[in-house]
Amino acid sequence: MRFTFLFISSISLSLSLSDAKGEELTDAQIDFFETKIRPVLADACYECHSNEGGRVKGGLALDTRDAMMLGGDSGGVVTPGDPDDSLLWIAMSYTDADYEMPPKKRLAPEVVADFRKWIEMGAPDPRVTEKQIIKSEIDIEKGREFWSFQPPVKTPPTETENTTWATSEIDRYVLSSLEENSLTPAPNATPETLIRRLSYDLTGLPPTPDEQGIFLAQWKADPARALEEHIDRLLASERFGERWGRHWLDVVRYAESTGKETNMTYPHAWRYRDYVIDSFNADKPYDYFLTQQIAGDLLPAKTDEEWQENLIATAYLALGSKGLNQDNSRQFQMDVVDEQIDTVSQSVLGLTVSCARCHDHKFDPIPMLDYYSMAGIFLSSETFFGTVTNAQNKRPSELLLLPIPDPVGKKLSREEVSSLENRLTSMRNEMIEYRSARDSMNGNAAGDAAKKALRTRSQMAILQARLSGLEEDGRQKTFAMGMQTLDAPVEAAVLVRGEIDKPAQTVNRGFLQVVQHDGAEPIPADSDGRRELAEWLTSEENTLTARVMANRIWLQLFGEGIVRTPDNFGTAGQLPTHPELLDYLALRFIENGWSVKSLIREIVLTRTYRMSSEFDSTAYSQDPENTLLWRASPRRLDAEAIRDSMLAASGTIDLQRPHGSYIAEMGDVRVGIRINEESINEPSSYRSVYLPVVRDLVPDSLGLFDFAEPDVVRGSRESTNVPSQALYLMNNDFVADQAKAMGSKLFNEFDSLEERIAAAFQHTFSRLPTHDETRSAAAFMQAFSSSGETGETDPILALSMFCQGLISSSEFRYLY
Amino acid sequence: MSPPSQLPFSRRRALKYASSGFGYLAFAALAHEQARAAGTSRIDPLAPKTPHFSARAKRVIFLSMRGAPSHVDTFDYKPQLTKDNGKAGQLGSTRGDMLMGSPWDFKQHGESGLWISSLFPGVAKHADDLCLLRSMQTDQPNHPQATLQMNTGSFQFVRPSLGAWSLYGLGTENSDLPGFITLNPRGSAQNYGSSFLPAIYQGSKLDSGAGRRGPNAGGGGAPKIPNIKNRDMNGEQQRVWLDYVQSLNQNDLSRRVHQPGIEGVIESFEMAFKMQDSLPEQIDLTGESQATLDLYGVGNATTDTFAKQCLLARRLSESGVRFIEVNHSSSWDHHQNLKNDMEKNCSEIDQPIAALLTDLKQRNLLDDTLVIWAGEFGRTPHSQGSDGRDHNNKGFTTWMAGGGVKGGFSYGSTDEHGYEAVENKMHIHDWHATILHLLGINHEKLTYNYAGRDFRLTDVHGYVAKDILA
Repeated sequence: MRFTFLFISSISLSLSLSDAKGEELTDAQIDFFETKIRPVLADACYECHSNEGGRVKGGLALDTRDAMMLGGDSGGVVTPGDPDDSLLWIAMSYTDADYEMPPKKRLAPEVVADFRKWIEMGAPDPRVTEKQIIKSEIDIEKGREFWSFQPPVKTPPTETENTTWATSEIDRYVLSSLEENSLTPAPNATPETLIRRLSYDLTGLPPTPDEQGIFLAQWKADPARALEEHIDRLLASERFGERWGRHWLDVVRYAESTGKETNMTYPHAWRYRDYVIDSFNADKPYDYFLTQQIAGDLLPAKTDEEWQENLIATAYLALGSKGLNQDNSRQFQMDVVDEQIDTVSQSVLGLTVSCARCHDHKFDPIPMLDYYSMAGIFLSSETFFGTVTNAQNKRPSELLLLPIPDPVGKKLSREEVSSLENRLTSMRNEMIEYRSARDSMNGNAAGDAAKKALRTRSQMAILQARLSGLEEDGRQKTFAMGMQTLDAPVEAAVLVRGEIDKPAQTVNRGFLQVVQHDGAEPIPADSDGRRELAEWLTSEENTLTARVMANRIWLQLFGEGIVRTPDNFGTAGQLPTHPELLDYLALRFIENGWSVKSLIREIVLTRTYRMSSEFDSTAYSQDPENTLLWRASPRRLDAEAIRDSMLAASGTIDLQRPHGSYIAEMGDVRVGIRINEESINEPSSYRSVYLPVVRDLVPDSLGLFDFAEPDVVRGSRESTNVPSQALYLMNNDFVADQAKAMGSKLFNEFDSLEERIAAAFQHTFSRLPTHDETRSAAAFMQAFSSSGETGETDPILALSMFCQGLISSSEFRYLY
Repeated sequence: MSPPSQLPFSRRRALKYASSGFGYLAFAALAHEQARAAGTSRIDPLAPKTPHFSARAKRVIFLSMRGAPSHVDTFDYKPQLTKDNGKAGQLGSTRGDMLMGSPWDFKQHGESGLWISSLFPGVAKHADDLCLLRSMQTDQPNHPQATLQMNTGSFQFVRPSLGAWSLYGLGTENSDLPGFITLNPRGSAQNYGSSFLPAIYQGSKLDSGAGRRGPNAGGGGAPKIPNIKNRDMNGEQQRVWLDYVQSLNQNDLSRRVHQPGIEGVIESFEMAFKMQDSLPEQIDLTGESQATLDLYGVGNATTDTFAKQCLLARRLSESGVRFIEVNHSSSWDHHQNLKNDMEKNCSEIDQPIAALLTDLKQRNLLDDTLVIWAGEFGRTPHSQGSDGRDHNNKGFTTWMAGGGVKGGFSYGSTDEHGYEAVENKMHIHDWHATILHLLGINHEKLTYNYAGRDFRLTDVHGYVAKDILA
């Protein structure tokens, strides 16, 4: 892996696509091609480089003009007019030892001269396959009639019969739809329930007994003030960003490895994770937050800090899963672009644009041409994601070098650096030996040597990466994943059925017509289009962006969105249960400067949010899924909250943010050897958002409890209760250790059993036990102790088992 | 058959009356009594139930092929496609759709003379047990939706899965194991979920020790079940502990009146407790003879993963698990590299499947075990690129064996090239209706009342393909 300081090598896709439009050829030109060029191509090249012949080595086919102009893995091969810049001629002339073609049969000098002349003539090529023009039959205007493509409007809620319940506009929307269906809202939740709900929803942690005490005392004096102040405290806490940042990380399929067959690590992904958390804590306006992630590298920055942050943000586009064993570079590039289109369109717009890669979208008014308009934007940039080369990784990339070195981080001594260098040198020597052994020996010995050579090469790549990641003085350089614009933006060719070797017409870079708004400027010829994309996405006229995010926020606070398919606002998604309310929220979001915290604050202050989850059989029989919000839906805590709550209850939680991540420590490696099932499950006291997120290897504490698999955009998680979770809570060492720590802590902190039991209930259920519950707990501890083999009573053990019982119970993992 | 949904474990039911007042002491006493009275008055949602009519199939092994395998290269012989190789396909030459004959030879096999391609030499030896369904259709040509529809009948809404419906309808023969087990699933948990059916009917995931974690793990190793043993407690202590946890859960439930989530928690703990003893034994393949291991291909790098899954499926079905889903780990989404990758995929599963059929037969299990092989749809007769095929939901092939289906039988057909089912079309709803029928269930009568409506696996559709019944 090489690193560059924001260096971009331009890919010659632009010229190969745009320069291929030949003018009328003269007879002489055609004659020259047919007599001097075509026979040689057919005779000397087609065997390995033709679509017709079935072999396309190095991704290069030479049997049509389009294919030849498209080039292969190494880029374009013919630059009309400039043979010295044309790989085809360089290879034929045997002037570059890396490219000598045909490999075993050097062409005669006069033939090579013919090719030079032909390229100087502008490479006239009559082999024109009729250019296909793809047309769309989608009626965009008609498509715009669908609700989500209509601008949100504020429709005042209809008058309600009950005039005392609602305390906010949101309440009035909810109440009016309840009344329309002859339902009534549930009573208020108790303050104990409410503080627990708020604490989890805003910070992912239970209230501490102290916080609870203060809140309840204040509540007695002035409930409204107690509530507001508590909400503001939670919103100001750094825990808020860890909670809400994680929600966003679900949406953007954040992970620290490529996934798929090769699964290489992304040791620098964590910087993006921290960026997201910090952004939510800073209440960064959502429109700017999106702009940074899509076009941060193109934004003006006054300071290095700002520049650094902007660069890190663009990892949003680079974090996707990648098939690194792809032989064909162009296929790989289109797959990366597809993943970017998929992520942007689903996460921001709630649309599945990548369905239009091979044909017009089957459900939504998204023509295939729109897909390629967006593809042009991403093709005009290079994606930097790192990874080191090895036999299974054919597509490593470089990384972005950041302007500011890390404040912490290991510094290698001169000796350590030179020992690394020495190892590299000796590996290089071994490599030479293996290679010569491989070439000179036969049979098993040769095979052995070949294997060793391969292994040594991979090890060398890792070592080289480590060394090139060091400053002169042994400090770590700092890198990030992200995006950089190419020197010359390109327009994408529409690919027939999405196949890379079947280009049709090219289309201008642009956006989705159906979400297009009046007065939008076309993307300038010299811009790659990402800034314009960000502007279009965050425009107040975009009918989707604010709605989609408002819905995501609502979903996290109520368990379900107003649109229950948060990543699909198209016709295959579900319709909003409260369309006017959704529009109200979207418009409020924009009005308040896209402030996430303000919207959350407004929602959690409503009576709707403060309803109890009390069961009502009449309402249930009418609306079992609670789509009308007649009560608060009981919700299971997500994986992070369950694990963090255990750490909080045991008192062992470490609320500091770790520098980097376990994956960063492991560096550039392939998942499966040093990073394995055991190592990924190593206990840690940090909050769960800082646990390693490796594709296809998620820690059990997350994976067993419905963590969002980070392969695609996931705006909502499943919520299951299955035996594997019960086994985990019953038998896992980490859980048992938390229970023991909690038991010991309670034993030392309190003198009486009653106090210990009371405190344990507070730490796990955020409430005090009833008299019966205290008795039951004591009875259990006694029964447990006497069931031991020796009959000996170990009070701490029994207390710990009691704690583990609380942790394992339904009340611990449910929010009511 | 009456839906058992409203009747949870009697242990919990008893506690409904007792919990708030008596707490753990009462609970422990009742639990004790319950244990003694076990079998007499127990109302268990997993208890075996009498089917609507007598049935040949008692259980299902569903071999699920993620990514949609090509039918015209495997079980749908299309000589005309070979003849028309290179001609324009259904969509015309302008779209670049040239027909591509199968690169593999088809031959007739067994006394029945079923046509099967050379990709499945092992399975072909069982031709006389296979019932090919060559006229399958599904609504969506996209993977996630079609997979969901194959598993739940609906591509759009959250609905219970086929396995959950089967378990709900029939209960299970072994209450110490989950009645519905899915081996190495990928993708959405909805595919084996219970949706509005009680949580006890959802599929339990099991990692068979197959290479789900990538090529470097699992190969040759034993299947693993995390957290199956307790470090600190002996069995008796653990039961005491569990009773306490369940008393807490029970208290919680009684306060909430109705909360399926808590019921799910309670059931999951009961099952987990039993699984600690039952499951390690189940997944321990060391008791299998070397001959059996070799038969399946355990230990062979190519077949190891799927061989272990199939062997495990046989063991689980032998133990009375009602529905076992075996998820092949490789993708069949062959838009490109069809030639290489089809051979690779087929060589991973051919021997294990053949061994499964042989093994079930020699244990007299094939008669009442329905083995199903299916992907979510098929692929186009025309090529995509020079070496691939695109999605095709209009016509594809699945097959069944054992469990009361006609062996050596081929049902339905596609057009001459394999684009679309033309004869005896079998939509996924029909397929589901037929599977339930084979299990002795009338798909129109297996209902669950939710939100004021009776729901069915087949919604308002589904015809039983009576022709395939033995």
